[in-house]
Amino acid sequence: MNEPPFSLHDPIAALATPWGKSAVAVIRISGEGCIGLADRLFIGTKPLRDRPGHTLAHGFLADPASGERVDEVLAAVFRAPHSYTGEDSVELSLHGGLPTIAAALDLLRRNGFRDAAPGEFSLRAFRNGTMDLSAAEAVNEIVNARSDRARALAFSRLSGALHDRIDALKRGLVEVLAGIEAMIDYPDEIYEHASPSRAILADTRAAVDALLATYGAGRLFQEGASVAVAGRANSGKSTLFNLLLKEDRSIVSETPGTTRDFIEGAVTVAGIPIRLFDTAGLRPTRDELEGEGIRRTQIVLDRSDLVVYLVDAVIGLTKDDESVLASIEGRTPVVRLWNKTDIAPAAAPEGFIPFSARTEAGFPNLEAAIRRALLGSFQGEGGAAVIDSLRQKEALERAREALALTDAGLERHTSYDLVAADLREAIDALGSITGEVTSAEILEAVFSKFCVGK
Amino acid sequence: MDFDAIVIGAGHSGIEASLALARLGFSTLLVTQSLDAVGRLSCNPAVGGLAKGNLVREIDALGGEMAKLADRTLIQFRMLNRSKGPAVQAPRAQTDKEAYALLAKHTLEAEKNLSLFQDTVTDFIVNAAGTAAEGVVTARGRRFASRVTVLTTGTFMEAAIFIGEYSGPGGRLGEPAAEGLGRSLRRLGFDVGRLKTGTPARVLRRSVRFDEMDEQRGEDVALPFSFAYDRIERPSVPCWVTYTNAETHRIIRENIGRSPLYGGKIVGVGPRYCPSIEDKVMRFPDRERHQIFVEPEGLSTEEMYLNGISSSLPEEVQDRFLRTVPGLKDIVIARPGYAVEYDYLNPLQLYPSLETKRLAGLFVAGQTNGTSGYEEAAAQGLMAGLNAGLKLRGEPPLILSRAEAYIGVLIDDLVTLGTTEPYRLFTSRAEHRLSLRHDTADARLLEKGYKTGLQTKEAHERFLEKRNKIDTIKALLEKRKVKTDDATRRTDLEKFVSKSFAYALKDPAVKLEDLIELEPELAAFPPAWRGQAELDLKYEGYIKKQENEVERVKRLERLALSPDIDYSSLDGISKEAREKFAKVRPLSVGQAARIPGVRNADIAVLIVHVTKRKNP
Repeated sequence: MNEPPFSLHDPIAALATPWGKSAVAVIRISGEGCIGLADRLFIGTKPLRDRPGHTLAHGFLADPASGERVDEVLAAVFRAPHSYTGEDSVELSLHGGLPTIAAALDLLRRNGFRDAAPGEFSLRAFRNGTMDLSAAEAVNEIVNARSDRARALAFSRLSGALHDRIDALKRGLVEVLAGIEAMIDYPDEIYEHASPSRAILADTRAAVDALLATYGAGRLFQEGASVAVAGRANSGKSTLFNLLLKEDRSIVSETPGTTRDFIEGAVTVAGIPIRLFDTAGLRPTRDELEGEGIRRTQIVLDRSDLVVYLVDAVIGLTKDDESVLASIEGRTPVVRLWNKTDIAPAAAPEGFIPFSARTEAGFPNLEAAIRRALLGSFQGEGGAAVIDSLRQKEALERAREALALTDAGLERHTSYDLVAADLREAIDALGSITGEVTSAEILEAVFSKFCVGK
Repeated sequence: MDFDAIVIGAGHSGIEASLALARLGFSTLLVTQSLDAVGRLSCNPAVGGLAKGNLVREIDALGGEMAKLADRTLIQFRMLNRSKGPAVQAPRAQTDKEAYALLAKHTLEAEKNLSLFQDTVTDFIVNAAGTAAEGVVTARGRRFASRVTVLTTGTFMEAAIFIGEYSGPGGRLGEPAAEGLGRSLRRLGFDVGRLKTGTPARVLRRSVRFDEMDEQRGEDVALPFSFAYDRIERPSVPCWVTYTNAETHRIIRENIGRSPLYGGKIVGVGPRYCPSIEDKVMRFPDRERHQIFVEPEGLSTEEMYLNGISSSLPEEVQDRFLRTVPGLKDIVIARPGYAVEYDYLNPLQLYPSLETKRLAGLFVAGQTNGTSGYEEAAAQGLMAGLNAGLKLRGEPPLILSRAEAYIGVLIDDLVTLGTTEPYRLFTSRAEHRLSLRHDTADARLLEKGYKTGLQTKEAHERFLEKRNKIDTIKALLEKRKVKTDDATRRTDLEKFVSKSFAYALKDPAVKLEDLIELEPELAAFPPAWRGQAELDLKYEGYIKKQENEVERVKRLERLALSPDIDYSSLDGISKEAREKFAKVRPLSVGQAARIPGVRNADIAVLIVHVTKRKNP
């Protein structure tokens, strides 16, 4: 627990949208007196300070000293405690563009605001009780999320899918523990012996395993996957890359080997955020520069989550292709494309997807193959409970281990004091995600379920 | 100054408090309403049980009296939970009530530095500033000045008794309430509440048909509660078990409106874990029967106690429903069951030393703090007396942590969480119960008791010898390897060949007693000490795991908070936490973190505050 050494409700400002070119940029300000401070920089039909919460005002952001207008803005006013942070706050929507954003932030800095520290909005929200720990993490991930699906997953967690899931598991375990505790603390009285339910334990273990299995997918949506586009020179990698990127970033030419280095681009394929790498043509060469490119390509292929490998259908499968595919196989999943079907309409060999980077024929099949290769059997849609932070994963692993010990203990008729210790550990591990279970709650469960006491 | 210390009340709490103060060398006055009612076991004739047995042994390790009183008056002994694991085993004894009370009184009378006086305390003498207690005023107008005072009123303060339509003042059936003191405490600004408890009927032995009940015998050999000796010779008399039935429940349900509890006469909150038979029947309508233990009240009386069936229904209803129970058909009730409602002080008004925040020098212990149970009362009495003594000496109080004693759990729960119902200790209230075994109470606490001067030199020396011997046993078990020869004699040791005995013992199936034939040197040690060494080794892994957790908690525990912090001036704390901190006035960040409803962020602010003060 490290509280940052700054004051806790002074006015802060920060860009809420990514720092870069975009249609609209949002600057969020929050803190005591921030609406009045912002009002001095706002020219509109009605002062911000007179506006109720949850209203939108149109106007201009202007420097009160010089009268110079920075941008036309929409100002959303929120009043405490009904705001994201639980404090008075304003969200200013500006026209995107780095110079405008920089000028607006500079203006705020000169007029009573300081830059928010990373996570400070969420910290305030957390402290003011407008969000719990699991939600605070989810918000952070929404802010950083790269795709619509990632946002949907983060939102579903915010709305409590994961919280509800884990809470239900926790309640089941508390019931089991309550039975054990009743037997321990009332040795003479539980005469209809409530022996611990192995079935609940088994269900919980399966559920924990299932949640753990979503970590990969959650992680994938959160961080994105690295996908390398590979193939022999002139097999159409750059055309595919550009098709995916829909943006001219790499050089496309008819001369083999013009793409000399891997180039990164961020795209969304089948809802999955993907970092795309275009690689140098894989072919033996004496050209020193290109040789270096090929060496680095191998490194990229090794570190990728997936390789999309193109074969030039006009030339067909060469020895080079076969040796490269063999070297990737078993190390990284591969999606094989039989490219240029528009000019060489020969049938694709087994395992290849017929495709044309130029005409986009076969693109839906490519998308489906990428999704399948990255997500496997994961079917999580918007509402699924998915874990994607390392903290959650570790807590669930701790729970899994403790549950295994609990079950083994019951199997071997280990004494209840030790079984209870393991079970308690599992409950605490789940509790570290959604909130601690106190001994008072366990006793509550004991007394509501069992008629004990004399 | 008339006395160094005054103790109000001579129940289990007052006994320990007054003995502790006197034994620390302070002139002490014990004031009680009736010297014929010292050390009464007002409810069941038993001492010990889950968590409670551990408390008794902890009291003994620190230098208290309860274990010895129980050892010398017990009439049946059982070790509970033998099958459920050593960490949750606990000694429990049926005791002879009359003998217990007589021995308690005699022990007090014989104590040097301790004066006994029969009168009712009605008020406190308070200094001019209204900040410190300086003595007491009694019903007969006597005034006694003292430097410290320990308040232990049990169920007597402004108490009332209820049986069906009857109600009247009284702290126990036939004994007057202590009137005036509750009013005084309210006038002094204390937060005083009402709690309720109850007790079952006592019946005459000759009217019970034992052939219609199951006998429950005690163990042949009683393990002493006290660490001061290895064996006790006591009689062992049986208890009996019978059950209620549908007819019993029908009578209770039909008359439930005549219960003072259900009729709304009693406002005090009763204990959920010690429900009356009315509560059991109403709250668990599906239960076909409820268990009743028939327990002797003593060797010199024919009265028997009906454990499990406490009631405040009208006496004729009690009579009728009891007669439906097998074995109780011809029952003769000597004393009816009843409910008692009494004043208690919200324990959030106490520091962990059990001294009140409002009046310096006033300590409160026992049922007055909202607890129930003889053992809980005695444990608090001991700590209140001890800490009052340490205060007189100008030394810091002895605060036991949750990780080292059930006493620590009990007091921390009271002063940090408060209580709105009678509080009983459970093993599950202790996060670290694996390390709070009853047999290790001396290892955990005796040294501390000795340092305060409460524990005797003999007990300390005896303890040191035992500790050395246990270490010797453990060293032997670590050194001795399982040989192939051993494995031929005991095939279950095959997988441990060339590993140490200590390692093999971690397997739940391997018992130290079975290893003695392989290593005769082990036979030289007393079985109890061997057993303790064995358990220490068996539990090592679990205890290590808990120790890591304890260490994490300790870090917060070490961040001390001044009781004088002005929480309204601390930035960044939520309103709810601010109010709670101001009320509890926690003495460490660790204690603050245990207050319900306090968020991590509030604790973070406290940590910043403490750190800032340390490094300005």
